[in-house]
Amino acid sequence: MSLVVDSITKRFGDVVALDGVSFSVEPGRIFGLLGANGAGKTTSMRIVLDILRADDGRVTWQGAENTSLPRRTWGYLPEERGLYPRMLVGEQLRFFAALYGVSDATARAETDDWLERFRISDYRERKVEALSKGNQQKIQFIASILHDPAVLIMDEPFSGLDPVNVRLLKEAFLEMKQRGKTLIFSTHQMEQVEELCESIAIVDRGRVVVSGAVRDVKRAMGRQVVRLATDGDGHGIEWLKAIPGVELITQREDYVELHVPADRDPGMILRAVLERGDSVTRFEIAEPSLEEIFVEHVGRRAVDESEEHLASSSRDDAE
Amino acid sequence: MSDLFPNAFHVARREYLVRVRGRAFVITTALLALAIAAATLAPTILAAFGVADAPRIAVDVQADDLTSDPVLAIQTALVVSADPDADPAGEHDTEGRARVTRADNPETAAQSVRDGELDALLTITRDDRGELAFEYLGSASPTNRTRLLITGAATAIAISDRLERSGIGQQEAAAIFEPPSFTAMPVDPADARDSDEFGGAFILAYALVILTFMAILTYGNWVAQSVAEEKSGRVMELLITAATPRQLLTGKVLGSGAAGLTQYLAIVAAAIIGFIANAPISQSVGIGGQSPISLPDLNAWMLLAFGAFFLLGFVLYSTLYAAAGSMVSRIEDVQQAVGPLIFLSMAGYFASFTGLNDPDAGWVGVLSFVPFFSPYLMPARMLLTSVGIGEILVALAILAVTLIAAMLLASRIYSAGVLMYGQRVGLRTLWRASRVSR
Repeated sequence: MSLVVDSITKRFGDVVALDGVSFSVEPGRIFGLLGANGAGKTTSMRIVLDILRADDGRVTWQGAENTSLPRRTWGYLPEERGLYPRMLVGEQLRFFAALYGVSDATARAETDDWLERFRISDYRERKVEALSKGNQQKIQFIASILHDPAVLIMDEPFSGLDPVNVRLLKEAFLEMKQRGKTLIFSTHQMEQVEELCESIAIVDRGRVVVSGAVRDVKRAMGRQVVRLATDGDGHGIEWLKAIPGVELITQREDYVELHVPADRDPGMILRAVLERGDSVTRFEIAEPSLEEIFVEHVGRRAVDESEEHLASSSRDDAE
Repeated sequence: MSDLFPNAFHVARREYLVRVRGRAFVITTALLALAIAAATLAPTILAAFGVADAPRIAVDVQADDLTSDPVLAIQTALVVSADPDADPAGEHDTEGRARVTRADNPETAAQSVRDGELDALLTITRDDRGELAFEYLGSASPTNRTRLLITGAATAIAISDRLERSGIGQQEAAAIFEPPSFTAMPVDPADARDSDEFGGAFILAYALVILTFMAILTYGNWVAQSVAEEKSGRVMELLITAATPRQLLTGKVLGSGAAGLTQYLAIVAAAIIGFIANAPISQSVGIGGQSPISLPDLNAWMLLAFGAFFLLGFVLYSTLYAAAGSMVSRIEDVQQAVGPLIFLSMAGYFASFTGLNDPDAGWVGVLSFVPFFSPYLMPARMLLTSVGIGEILVALAILAVTLIAAMLLASRIYSAGVLMYGQRVGLRTLWRASRVSR
């Protein structure tokens, strides 16, 4: 039985934050919630967690309404990180575990295990404020899973992490998946989604514009992407337009990207190139990237939004 | 919604430990305890250093036809005021009592006053009309205590001199000035109390009001600060997913309150130690302990009622302070948010100060039932007038019901407030948001 978000609606005053958002997540899967800032990701998550109540709609996990579920069902990593700065790491983790009803002995054992996994065992008796941002984020991740929740909800878990820590966190995600946990995370970094998620939902202005298994979402785009590089680059790319069925041609740094409808055989492009006598150095048939899918559905690039977000220091969290 | 405990306990424990272990707490508590102990010992210490020396007065009696000895009259006035139990006819220069001597040489005596060896020189002459005239050489301050006392004594001497000259003998004069028989009958016979005890009760009532006010103001602010800190530090989102607003709110109030009470008890203990240590210390430095004010008879029930009023009032205010703290995004804005609460507790504080002087007034009676004022006014009334057990229980019940209502309101404000950032949240926005929060 899965996590079902069923047409939830939420208004903040005159602003409609969520307008009938629906999606479902299979147990034991990793689910990506994509959307620009202000699209409604955080609000959706808060409503699933029952720290906000929807005006309309319902959320169920394994058939039970989220309002009736114990709080230890969920593990939550909020987008805005925060811990008690002057509390010791170990003490702080045990405090949060205790709030979820975890015994002190279990909390100690689990804390040690996870600190070891993240290679920060030395920091257990240090104050949180003495730790780097990346390490604080790891502590916060541990705080959200010490009580062994069935569902993990992570709001932008990768933002602000360096590549090494991104890798550690991904490994932790896969570990949790192996333990049979269900993971939901939001992001606008598409690489992480491509790498981790089995299914996604793209949210835009309070509505789900597309959702489902990543494979199905990609297929539903109805096109294939062909990446082509030849040694005859000097001829330009104009001649490619003549090939029937080719919809869009983009010159990249060292290759050309062509869009071909799903019902056409991309092999015709290869044949056309060979007929010209050019030798092919790269020929690749791919599905459209999530980035492309996102841009096409949302109509703007997620990254631009994130930069905008960074530029504005104060922002209303009514998202 | 799940049960309050054990999560409220976990939150309270964390709050308490963090607060009590903090360097600021330890230092402040130690300093306050020291200051209080010093304040209670101050009279003894001052006496030991001779600051509270008895005044030394010289009297130059040039009107030599007086029938009674003016030196004795002035000595009586000064000694009686200094120590009601002292025998005015006792030795004139007993340690610690005023010394009044007859000046043999006015010139030398005046010089002694200027040199600071004597406090004052009083010259008594008779003027052309035959009236006594007094000339006082000493501190010019009109509120100087010695001067005020001597002025009183001079008036008495002049009046008895006039009576003497009118042919009224000393015995007759004493009969004229005999106070009438005056007996005050209390309406409630159980309320009979002597005036000595009333003085103690009055001081205790003042102390209770001041202590309650300070506790609410200081420790209530702690609660608001700590909520705002969690919010601005963004720990709040983790907390609110792990525990319900009511658990967080209760834990916060209990933990901060317990830390506040710890400091409070340390201060009260210092005061008690100071009072107890007063007598042995003053005896050991040889200045004769003067017994501190006698406290009124307090039975256990009364103390229990004081405790209940203090705790309920304190928790009521703290709960609302927590709600106020949840409304701001930045710690700097806390003071603004708690403004109305400060105003409310100030109103109760000043009302009880006015009320202390007229504890039987109707408005004092009414206000002593009003929830935000009863923690101040009811204990004060209990000390100063007769209050029935029924009244006390009703006031406590009203306070308890208000507390429950405040808890519900505060956890609502809290649950909506803690997730709102940005500009200061208005109450109206908050109320609308709170209807749909859990």
